[in-house]
Amino acid sequence: MPEGKDELFKKLSDSVVYMDESLTVQLSNEVIDKGYDAYEAIEKGLSDGMERAGKLFEEEEYFIPELLMCSDAMYAGLDILKPHIKTKESGEKHRVVIGVVEGDTHDIGKNLVKIMLETSGFDVIDLGRDIPPQKFVETAKEVEAKIIALSTLMTTTMEGMSEVIRILNTLGIRESFKVMVGGGPISQSFADKIGADGYSINAAEAVRLARRLVGGAA
Amino acid sequence: MSTLSPKERLLRVLNKQKTDRPPVICTGGMMNAAIVDVMNKTGHTLPQAHHDDTLMAELSNDVHQQTGFENFGIPFCMTVEAEVLGSEINFGTLACEPKIEKEIFPSASKVEFKDINNMLKGARVNTIVQSGYRLSKKYPDVPVIGNLTGPISTAASIVDPIPFLKELRKDKENAHKVIDYVSDFLIEYSRLMIENGVTLISIGDPTATGEILGPKMFEEYAVRYLNKVIDGIHSMGAPVIVHICGNMNSVKHLVPQIKSNALSTDALVNLRLLKEEFPQITTMGNLSTFLLEFGTPDKVAGQTERLIRDGIDIISPACGLSTSSSLDNITAMTSTVKEN
Repeated sequence: MPEGKDELFKKLSDSVVYMDESLTVQLSNEVIDKGYDAYEAIEKGLSDGMERAGKLFEEEEYFIPELLMCSDAMYAGLDILKPHIKTKESGEKHRVVIGVVEGDTHDIGKNLVKIMLETSGFDVIDLGRDIPPQKFVETAKEVEAKIIALSTLMTTTMEGMSEVIRILNTLGIRESFKVMVGGGPISQSFADKIGADGYSINAAEAVRLARRLVGGAA
Repeated sequence: MSTLSPKERLLRVLNKQKTDRPPVICTGGMMNAAIVDVMNKTGHTLPQAHHDDTLMAELSNDVHQQTGFENFGIPFCMTVEAEVLGSEINFGTLACEPKIEKEIFPSASKVEFKDINNMLKGARVNTIVQSGYRLSKKYPDVPVIGNLTGPISTAASIVDPIPFLKELRKDKENAHKVIDYVSDFLIEYSRLMIENGVTLISIGDPTATGEILGPKMFEEYAVRYLNKVIDGIHSMGAPVIVHICGNMNSVKHLVPQIKSNALSTDALVNLRLLKEEFPQITTMGNLSTFLLEFGTPDKVAGQTERLIRDGIDIISPACGLSTSSSLDNITAMTSTVKEN
């Protein structure tokens, strides 16, 4: 009896969780060869695997190196499956503009949040690291983003976050965007103090927060 | 014992000897205390002072005089090692500290190993070593703290950190090779500082946290190479302080293996409980830098008193200070310790 579809998706999910990039590639090719739906394979295989990896990360079973390797496996599978998606995904994806505030070149956390948001169906525009406050606002306006996500690892650069919000206020467009903040020295009380819409302690929580801020699924 | 000089007091604590009271210090480096308030008063400013040994010594002394911290701390950034090892640096502004513009190597396997003695002849190393020499000669009673960016963070400042973190698992051989090379460099750089008058070395390794690495890799890489550097410095007769960032939850059981003379932690860590669990550790910390920036002198003094009551061995900020912290808050901290 040939291997069932769900069984293959489960294996695909496992290969992401176990950081096995070559197996993920092999299984993704198998999905195509057998004529299974690529979109379903992404959802029930790759994304499911990343979600499980995110859970292990929260449970402190996995740490950042592991999560990065899971995401490598996930992206490798995505490269194979994406061209085979038949039906267009329904509706527009919510856009997020993300970056590390000026003065800080640590971007490990930001990259993780970006990966987790992407795997959860957000359209993420990554500005990179060491980004001046003005640039966040300009880009968010330009791409009509729903969310501006600001990250920093350094106490010394936290001020850049409140500057973004000040600029939004000055331009009278604060209500057009949700601002979420995170990173080592950031706390809920800091987020409240600067008037951000939300704070998340890690990448998995950031996804839940982003979903909440846009009012439901990505 | 009221006649102890700041240097004697700190060295005694690091040597587990009795003192009249805890020292109050801010190491420099990752915990740079050259705040805007200080620089605006004296006109000895950054980023110029990163490159000029006289100015660096003067600014260190300004910080010491105005904040009340009982030490000198050089340099004012965490980029010297990465610069010497080849990465591109942006020196920032008065209020914004220098940072790595671009890590020079895309992966651990691509790192070129250069001659360490040659690298130590570089201009920036010379600036710091000369500045340490000046300070130690001019003010023999004040400890000069030479700061290192730890082995894991320095490695992740010359190799793009995202591939590097994966290589800690995927390409252990090259990851070990690079961190070992970086550690050798750090030891020789410390030697140069110590031979020229620096009293002790403080290591900050913000990439080497439990949250980032997890316990397995913290043990395999962070503990191993921190200890390699510490052993190297101890063999020169100088004490070492290590600062661990983050909440330490997943790696707390490994922390006693670190052979430094004192352990400094983030504000998230309850040092009193850490002391109870591991009485052998000389603790340092951990006044919230959030409080130092946004709090009031009253609150700062209150929290400082709590740290003293808890028996923390060395009182210090918990993390890098914001350059916009107020001098009033910082002096509230230092004077509380001194008047206690």
